[in-house]
Amino acid sequence: MASYDVMPDVQLYQPANIDDALNLADRFGRDGWILGGGQDTYGWLKDRAKHPKAMIDLNGIETLSGVRQTDNGIEIGATTTLREIVRNKTINADYQLLALAAGHVASPQIRNAGTLGGNLLQDARCWYYRRGLACYRAGGNICYADSPEGMNREHCVFGASRCVAVSPSDTGTAMVALDATMVVQSIDGERLIPAGSFFKGPNTHITQMTALRPGEVLTAVRIPSAWAGSRFYFEKVADRNVWDFALVSIASAMRIEDGIIKDSRIVCGGVACTPHRLHHVEKALAGKSPGAETADLLAPLASEGSRPLNYNHFKLPLLENLLRRALRG
Amino acid sequence: MVFARLYTSPMAHGRVTGIDTSALDGMEGIVGILTADDIPAMESPNAAILTNLPVYIGDPILAVAAEDEKTAEDAIARIKVHIEPLPFTVDPLDSLVEGGPNAREEGNVFARSSEGSGFRTIKWSAQQLADFRAGKEPTGEWAHEWSYGDLEKGFADAKVVFEEPFVTIGYAHMSMEPRTAMAYWENGTCYVYGSAQSQSFWIPGLARLLGVEQKDVVLISENTGGGFGSKIGAYPIAGLPGWFSKKIGRPVQLRITREQEYYIGSARVGFQGWIKMGFAANGKITAADVFIIEDIGPNATGGDGSSAGGAISLVYDPSAMRFRGVPVLTNTTPRGAQRGPGQNQIAAVMAPLMDKAARQLDIDRLEIRRINAVNNDTTVYENQEPVTSAYMKEALDKGAEMFGWTAKSRRPKKDGTKVIGLGIGQGYHSAGATGFDGLLRITPDGRIHLHSGVGNLGTYSYAVTTRAAAEVLKCDWDDCVIEHGNTEANLPWSSYQAGSVSIFTHTRANYVAALDAVEKMKQIAAESLGGATSDYDIDGKQVFNKRNPRQGMSYGAVAARAIQLGGSYSGAVYPDDIHEVTKRAVQNLAGSGLIGVAKDNLEQKGVIPGLACAFVEIELDLETGKYEILDYVGIAECGTVVHPQGVAAQMKGGAVWGMGMAGLERHVYDPQNGLPANVGYHQCGIPTYLDTPLHIRTGAVDLPDPQNPFGARGIGEPAMGCSVAAMMSAISDALDGHVFGRTPISRDMIINYVAGREQSFKPLQTNNF
Amino acid sequence: MNPILSRRRFIKAVIASGAAAATHSGISSAVAGGQETAGEKGAVERLMSLTINGRTRRVDILPQETLAFTLRYKLGLTGTKIGCNRGECGACTVLIDDIPNYSCSTLTHSVRERSVLTVEGLQGEDGSLHPVQQAFIDELAPQCGFCTPGQLMAAVGLLKDNPHPSREEARQAMSGNLCRCGAPMAWCLRGSTRVLWRMGA
Repeated sequence: MASYDVMPDVQLYQPANIDDALNLADRFGRDGWILGGGQDTYGWLKDRAKHPKAMIDLNGIETLSGVRQTDNGIEIGATTTLREIVRNKTINADYQLLALAAGHVASPQIRNAGTLGGNLLQDARCWYYRRGLACYRAGGNICYADSPEGMNREHCVFGASRCVAVSPSDTGTAMVALDATMVVQSIDGERLIPAGSFFKGPNTHITQMTALRPGEVLTAVRIPSAWAGSRFYFEKVADRNVWDFALVSIASAMRIEDGIIKDSRIVCGGVACTPHRLHHVEKALAGKSPGAETADLLAPLASEGSRPLNYNHFKLPLLENLLRRALRG
Repeated sequence: MVFARLYTSPMAHGRVTGIDTSALDGMEGIVGILTADDIPAMESPNAAILTNLPVYIGDPILAVAAEDEKTAEDAIARIKVHIEPLPFTVDPLDSLVEGGPNAREEGNVFARSSEGSGFRTIKWSAQQLADFRAGKEPTGEWAHEWSYGDLEKGFADAKVVFEEPFVTIGYAHMSMEPRTAMAYWENGTCYVYGSAQSQSFWIPGLARLLGVEQKDVVLISENTGGGFGSKIGAYPIAGLPGWFSKKIGRPVQLRITREQEYYIGSARVGFQGWIKMGFAANGKITAADVFIIEDIGPNATGGDGSSAGGAISLVYDPSAMRFRGVPVLTNTTPRGAQRGPGQNQIAAVMAPLMDKAARQLDIDRLEIRRINAVNNDTTVYENQEPVTSAYMKEALDKGAEMFGWTAKSRRPKKDGTKVIGLGIGQGYHSAGATGFDGLLRITPDGRIHLHSGVGNLGTYSYAVTTRAAAEVLKCDWDDCVIEHGNTEANLPWSSYQAGSVSIFTHTRANYVAALDAVEKMKQIAAESLGGATSDYDIDGKQVFNKRNPRQGMSYGAVAARAIQLGGSYSGAVYPDDIHEVTKRAVQNLAGSGLIGVAKDNLEQKGVIPGLACAFVEIELDLETGKYEILDYVGIAECGTVVHPQGVAAQMKGGAVWGMGMAGLERHVYDPQNGLPANVGYHQCGIPTYLDTPLHIRTGAVDLPDPQNPFGARGIGEPAMGCSVAAMMSAISDALDGHVFGRTPISRDMIINYVAGREQSFKPLQTNNF
Repeated sequence: MNPILSRRRFIKAVIASGAAAATHSGISSAVAGGQETAGEKGAVERLMSLTINGRTRRVDILPQETLAFTLRYKLGLTGTKIGCNRGECGACTVLIDDIPNYSCSTLTHSVRERSVLTVEGLQGEDGSLHPVQQAFIDELAPQCGFCTPGQLMAAVGLLKDNPHPSREEARQAMSGNLCRCGAPMAWCLRGSTRVLWRMGA
């Protein structure tokens, strides 16, 4: 068994404009690796577990970075670093949920280099998959985690379909809660994909976690003003407070008028292969007042429909508790 | 120089049946291949440098050397190794049950004893195992036993008796510096640049590994990026560059990956056990009966179980006690000494049990520890030996005062979902050894060369311990040169830098060497200036006549005269009882100055205890299972404090280690295929800045130990034991005294407990999430 | 070869001789696809200028090369340590345009036209230590020392960004750096915050 530590041969392109990037993405297709901050790139390559022929580095394309006001909200370039998002005034003022989520990613240095696009597009963290084993997600025909004695403490309790990995993205839950739209470009043009359908579970996309197709590049994320200034809650429970991925996290937005919840978005991380939206809880919340009573009433709904594995049923009470905290405020 | 890379076993246990390197034929930049067939085999169960019988995933099988690292990796990727799989186990209990797999073909248990060590096969019936898992006293066979006192009477005298099963999962050392090594040969001598925790102590082992005489190996290791017990002696992989270099005739560097450091960098021994405790109405422990199944990995390294038993006898002083143990082999990473090996696992187990007894007897949790505290009159271990000195009660009192135990104990515990937990922990490790050598040399330029082979982990062991010699010589520290870091610098047989022994052991060795030098200086002065030896004294610059201080010789002049006189003065003659390593050093130095050299034959009786206690306050969130550490006070009881900043650093570092063991760090193996889940820093769960408190306060008792000339004992290991114990105690306290009986207590365990759910793992399961 | 050379000096000596031939540096002598795309729109040129510790040098860099490897193997700047090579420990932390980054997880080609500061660049021109270095020494912050260069760079990066950090801010800013010895976590924190008081901030 090898254990690698050196970057293998791979070509690097640093296009200066989006058209060149899209042409390269098209040319290399599945053999091209779109490079943001690279924090979920070099490990794969050093481990020789993924074998792209070329990295296409987007960081030289100025238009892909930064936060812009739009007519109806903001647009964040895909290569905007998490550090910039955490510090951005507009985001903190109106869309603080995203700043909170971004601030909980990994470690300061990873936030300094890591980009929004990279955080949204990062691959599953299942430890079996990351070992380079030929599991379903890697194109094989077995799931090591969902086996009688598999060590699956960190895996999903909802939406398993052969693969039981979870979506690891902290900003993904926030984006779904904020009804964000993913701007995806290719040489064929632009696609706008709602965050809620951007993340894909293994029932439809077992070897990738998003709707992104080969040759496509996530160029920006648009956040509508609909949720600006709402009551937000973000909490991530992990083993360590640095580096670790969420065991369970919650991102919520509530529009409250006269003490009554008009509308809400409740999205959980670490429990499903995609950011997991609690539609039924949102529905039940409408017309209720936020507070301990509502929290206790609705918390049990959070784990409805779950199917825990051998080592992860603790995620159910944790999920319920996080919902309770989000509703209690 | 060429660069080597390892190919390691993808199987938990197997037999290599073929190695196909044909894909490397004609590959540019490949310099050589080294396999187990190139190296003498090690006697089982010892770890080999390379093996054809891998016993864990990650066991090194072969190495490739190339002109650069990437080419070596390219080559490794192309090599095909055929391995026939053999049965394996990653949990001692799976091996101990009848019909269960053995980690090695020779047996499933390796018992070490002074009468002889060997493999055994020990199996328990399914019913015996089920009963053990259910928390009952083990009735299966064991391999080791010792006891003292009347156990039955002890339990009969007790007012409170309880039994508890426990698990402490092993985990990786994960030193920051992966154990890179480089070697080359010159005129029959092998020069090894390695990552070593000790210096001189490595030489015999390194010579054995390389199949050469001790005089033919040189170790260069000036700074080492952490060891924690994993680099005490020459570990097998340190011998690989030497063998490879010999084969291909070029210097070879082997840099290993972080993942490989996980595999071969060793890990703490895991425990699965059962303990029965008896307490008298006044809180005194009347009896302790402990049974420990040790997870000793594939290479049978450990001995932690009996050390744990010893720690119970010393720290808690039960009137009667029995230890039984069975060390079971598993196909997990090799185990080794890790910071308080045995003592710290049992410290974690014991703390919540002391709390439990205190609650049942309605005694304050501090008081029950004071009642059982080790002191100068305590006798310890199987043979009820004395201790050199011990002031645990004083340590507890000092800690309680600094921490504000009484006030904090009275504060309300609960605020919403948050609960305060207060914990007290005690740590112990034997903290001294004897019989090592000291060596120094005064040169005609007046310089004092202090030779130290103690090793350098950044704790300044080499400087702090040689300072002892400088103090005896009364010389200016700036006139001293510390010779260390390279065994060619003629280093004596110094203490290993481990087991909290350095300060006690090596100050003694330097002390006796300095006394030898002073005596010689006086003799030379008497010989040169007349009068008797006893007429002379030293003042740091010169040897002078006490009656006529103007009559004297400078240190440099004495050294010059020593060279002229020869004999024992110049090192031409030296004591018979010094170690071979020291003799060679003296032979090389002979004639270059005045030599002070001696073996530490100072009297030493009894156990030398390094002790510590800790108080911690946590705020645990019942909804998330997370806790903040609000306050931490650690008190060292290490005799006289020689280096206050150094003691504080050890107490703080130990505190962080204890926090990691208590809540985060553990081995995780998939029992179906033997795969480890946590090969990197991320999954290993080393505590970060945000998992440790902003405030770690420390103090020390600072009372001298009579058996060290400077009053000092060691502290590195107890510094951690008291922390993990205090953390376990605090978590239990926050949860109304619930005893998890397991390290680490992970978030999920707290969440499940609070939610009233079963834990995910089987009772007494180990190496799991 | 002089066996008296210290281990650290030895490694440096080897690197210095390797650096003379940058394509034979110990990491990779392969030329892999470099020429294939030379001159193609967007493809990187291997020969590039690097500004490290205020000095600009022309270096031949493979497309996939990480900054940690360039520093250690090509430029002999071995103060930057590789602890995990996966962005999980922080030992390789350097400042890029004053912002702490893991050099093991940074492509050297991405720092073209940017300014890199490593631990070797902290000392003043007269050889005096940077106040943070001095504070670390005064506090006995380093134990084994392997994480220290990374800790120093994180601390210096913090002060460049926030000259008046609270202890909690310092703790957050240092949190991307592991220390296995443990003690320095507390001491480094003190070291990095104490320096402010000393500097009269």
